[in-house]
Amino acid sequence: MTFTIATTLDDALAAMAAGARPVAGGSDLVVAARHGKAPLPGSIVAIDRLGDLAQITGTADGVRIGALATHATLMRHPLIVDSYPGLADASALVGSPATRNVGTLGGNVMNSSPAMDTGAPLLALGASVELRSVTGTRIVPLGELWTGPGRNVAAADELCTAVLIPAPATARGTASSSAYVRLEYRRAMEIAVVGAGASITVAADGTVESIAIALTAVAPTIISVTGLDAFVGKPLDVAALAAVGAIASEQASPISDLRASDSYRRHCVGVMARRAAEAAARRAGGELIAIPVNRAFGIGAAR
Amino acid sequence: MPAATTPRFVRADGPDKVTGSGRYTADLTLTGMLAAKFRYAEIAHGRITRLDVSAARAMPGVFAVLTADDVPDVRFGPFVQDRTLFARDVVRYEGEVVAAVAAVNATVAQLAVDAIVVEYEPLPVITDLEAALAGDSLLVHDGWAGYGAGDPVVRDRNDASFSSITKGDVDAGLAEADHVVSSRYVADGCHAAPIEPRAVLAQWEGNKVTIWTSTQVPFDARAGVCETLEMPASRVRIIVPHLGGGFGGKCGFHYEAHIAALARAAKRPVRLVFSRREEFFAPDRRREGMIIDVQTGVRSDGTITARKAWIAIDNGAYTTDAGFFSQLAAMHVSGPYKIPNVHIDAHLVYTNLQPSGSVRAPTAPQACWALESHTDEVAKAVGMDPVAFRKLNAVDTGDIGPSGQTYGEIGVQRCIDEATALVDYGQALPDDEAIGVAIGWWPSFSVPSGAYLKIDGDGSAQIITGAQECGTGAVMTLRQLAADELGMNAEDFELVYQDTSVAPYDMGATGSQTLFNNGRAVVAAAGQVAEQLRSLAAEFLEAAPADIVLADGHAHVAGSPTSTVSIAELAGIAAGSELLIGHGSGTPPAAPPLAGSSCVGDLGMAAFVAPQFSCHAVRVRLDRDTGVVRVMEVGTAHDSGTIINEMGALGQVEGGVMMGIGQALTEGAQYDADGHQRNTGLLEYKLQTCADSPVIRTHFVQIVTPDAGPRGAKGLAEAPNVATAAAISNAIAKLVGQPVRQLPMTAERVWKAMQS
Ligand SMILES: Cc1cc2nc3c(=O)[nH]c(=O)nc-3n(C[C@H](O)[C@H](O)[C@H](O)COP(=O)(O)OP(=O)(O)OC[C@H]3O[C@@H](n4cnc5c(N)ncnc54)[C@H](O)[C@@H]3O)c2cc1C
Repeated sequence: MTFTIATTLDDALAAMAAGARPVAGGSDLVVAARHGKAPLPGSIVAIDRLGDLAQITGTADGVRIGALATHATLMRHPLIVDSYPGLADASALVGSPATRNVGTLGGNVMNSSPAMDTGAPLLALGASVELRSVTGTRIVPLGELWTGPGRNVAAADELCTAVLIPAPATARGTASSSAYVRLEYRRAMEIAVVGAGASITVAADGTVESIAIALTAVAPTIISVTGLDAFVGKPLDVAALAAVGAIASEQASPISDLRASDSYRRHCVGVMARRAAEAAARRAGGELIAIPVNRAFGIGAAR
Repeated sequence: MPAATTPRFVRADGPDKVTGSGRYTADLTLTGMLAAKFRYAEIAHGRITRLDVSAARAMPGVFAVLTADDVPDVRFGPFVQDRTLFARDVVRYEGEVVAAVAAVNATVAQLAVDAIVVEYEPLPVITDLEAALAGDSLLVHDGWAGYGAGDPVVRDRNDASFSSITKGDVDAGLAEADHVVSSRYVADGCHAAPIEPRAVLAQWEGNKVTIWTSTQVPFDARAGVCETLEMPASRVRIIVPHLGGGFGGKCGFHYEAHIAALARAAKRPVRLVFSRREEFFAPDRRREGMIIDVQTGVRSDGTITARKAWIAIDNGAYTTDAGFFSQLAAMHVSGPYKIPNVHIDAHLVYTNLQPSGSVRAPTAPQACWALESHTDEVAKAVGMDPVAFRKLNAVDTGDIGPSGQTYGEIGVQRCIDEATALVDYGQALPDDEAIGVAIGWWPSFSVPSGAYLKIDGDGSAQIITGAQECGTGAVMTLRQLAADELGMNAEDFELVYQDTSVAPYDMGATGSQTLFNNGRAVVAAAGQVAEQLRSLAAEFLEAAPADIVLADGHAHVAGSPTSTVSIAELAGIAAGSELLIGHGSGTPPAAPPLAGSSCVGDLGMAAFVAPQFSCHAVRVRLDRDTGVVRVMEVGTAHDSGTIINEMGALGQVEGGVMMGIGQALTEGAQYDADGHQRNTGLLEYKLQTCADSPVIRTHFVQIVTPDAGPRGAKGLAEAPNVATAAAISNAIAKLVGQPVRQLPMTAERVWKAMQS
């Protein structure tokens, strides 16, 4: 087994070209190995010292989040909290303070678990990843990244360098926001039983201009809810929210496991989708709902 | 009686544990030490048709591979001798040890374990308690009738221990009732889940073995080694380094003999360190699953006329200390109520699951959950407020309990008043909130115990105790008792403990007995030293020994403030002549008499020595869309007699409440149809975390109790774990409209109850 510590991006890419797997916080890679889920790879390159990859920068097109940004940073970063609060909601729920301090966004996204928390808000926000290797750089929308539990389209030598989120719609009079909620049985060290992220733009008259919802832990990957166009141009009232929930439940294909039965998951993902949409819409309407929505909003009786 | 103690609580083991300088068993290494690994059955029931360890023995780096053929053929068990160290012929649960390996390191040991060839003829897996009790059921133990067992243990086929309580005429009592309410409750098994997975290290010198082990009961562990390896106690020394929690999971004798036998065969020290998975599925100790059918007759005015119940307890594959569970569960389903007519039958049923054993307040949280949920159903049937109903029917001072025990001064009614007041029971609540209330009880355990106390020439003092500190602080509190007796500070005493070759016998950190019994022993030992100091001081100060007062680290002559000498100076004098050494044991309080009831299978649990009582009142919030319940606020009141160390006592109550919340909502062992536990990690077996903890307020109803522990104290460590799940259940039932009849009351189960 070889273990190298990269001090430059080029080092890291070269190591990956030579067959090394990257490790960032190690909170998935190492923990999975210790649990016997997957043995440690024979060759590992640590990327955690590539400080540039931890930057969060506002750009003309939105925000560029370095892959090494930790959940602890994301949940408090003003740019994220103000413009992409759904991502902050998700990061704030990850594990415990210790997990959030070591766990990175790049690790969460590239680990590609269908139960990952940042996936649903990022997908609803239309995010992409920047993948780099010694041979070049490409941008892959998240909707095309994940192919199954723990699987994605990145080549073995491709490092995720950043997650890119497009700027919210800024047309006159419209307002956008996002939210993420998950079903959890306890308030720390939990894993999403199911979850939902929503990104919504509302017009000045309160009608929906755009709505996107993605679901956690109800399919082999994070999935987008389709067919939400019907809600555009209408207010997101109680009936509409209930309908959003029903559509989410219908599109879920959950499994039964130790955490929940498929029928309970199907029911609850609808509840989560409804609540995420409601929280996002209320935030878009100017209401301050503290991060994470789970605590602020009574998810899991957590008012 | 000594002066009142300070509220400050200085733990002798605190700095070591907090700074990480303390050493736990898994931290110890010895020269030449080998690593141990076990080959487990991995199937729940099967006959061994082939067991071949030759390939494993031949592997380089492997020093010893043991099976049943390599140790004495001894069947053991405290109530029923149904166990062997290694499986013989038949395996009866997935975690049963078939073989053990010692090798240069854990990797090689695991490779050797994997190289052991075991083949089985699979046998049907028995997990259904009612089916197992049926006359035609397959037997978990074909040879049950030939096993040794204690005289009072009533056994029949898959029923390892039957017990009943009978008082009055239950059928007549039910006939007198205006309403008869029948309920069925089912509790899943769960786990003690200590944070430290267990570890054992053994080293031989000549024909003596020293075993460092994470046990709650060092003397029991020693007895187990002596019995199974056929050795006298004088050749076995058990030392417990710091213990990383136990909650009962580390009571009993487990793996000390396996590791000692490996070390003897390998001629090297051998250490076993469990993984988290092993800590979950392997030890013969888990909180028992249970089925409780209970029926109560009640008059329209709310008085209970009769209670009848049938209880089946999952014993698992072998009978550990669970032998007494049937009687204890029967007591908890009777409950601390005035009931003229009672009949309870309880069965301890063999299955092919992990053996059950005492986990903090064994049988009580489940049985209390069932009984107290049922009690709210009974109150509802007569249209009474559940708190008023309990106040009407609960026992109190002078009353006679279900097993015929007459109580002295007890505080049940006061506990109900105090706990409900702490959460403002009766307040207007939002419609997603409710307060549930439950009462519980628990005996104190009166057993022998001993202590030595000495003061060396420089005035430093030591308490040498057989008591085991499992984190409760009970051993730590012994310093306070000695200090008060000798007029010194708690910090002046060093504790020498957890070493069977040094200290007198103690039952261990089990049965809430540590302070209850060791307190008596330490006070007696300190009293002897106090006598010595008084006579030395009397000589030195030219006064009568009766006039000497020990206080502030000095001996004073009463009424003559300038006439004083320090205890250190007296110790210096003693060092040149008769040394300052005391020893004590004292007489354990006797069990109270019973009258007017009868018990079949009486294993001593029908008479509660210094009975403890509690009431928990819990405000919960329900997410009606998902069934997720959150505990917001808990008020507890405990009658545990005199509270000696209030800070330590609060820690016990708060920890017990948190454990109770886990049992109520998230902690349940889940099995597949083949008897494999599926959730053997802390992600899927969900303990409560700090983030989940509610506001907990506690009131101690302090009654100086005669025939009890030091200064009128009762036990306390288990009592706080009795009533929490029950109170939560009653709050949930108010919100859902009916109880959730399976424990844990997971979000999904609550949601399902809301659908029906
Ligand atoms: C106790 C605990 C609680 C947790 N709770 C949650 C939770 O609530 N929600 C949740 O979503 N997750 C949770 N996790 C999982 C984990 O913490 C997160 O997924 C975290 O974001 C992973 O980041 P990391 O940097 O530690 O990843 P690592 O373990 O370093 O890497 C994970 C995987 O991604 C690959 N990888 C890492 N960085 C890159 C990169 N830049 N480019 C390409 N591949 C990369 C690695 O090779 C590896 O395959 C928890 C983990 C633990 C141990």
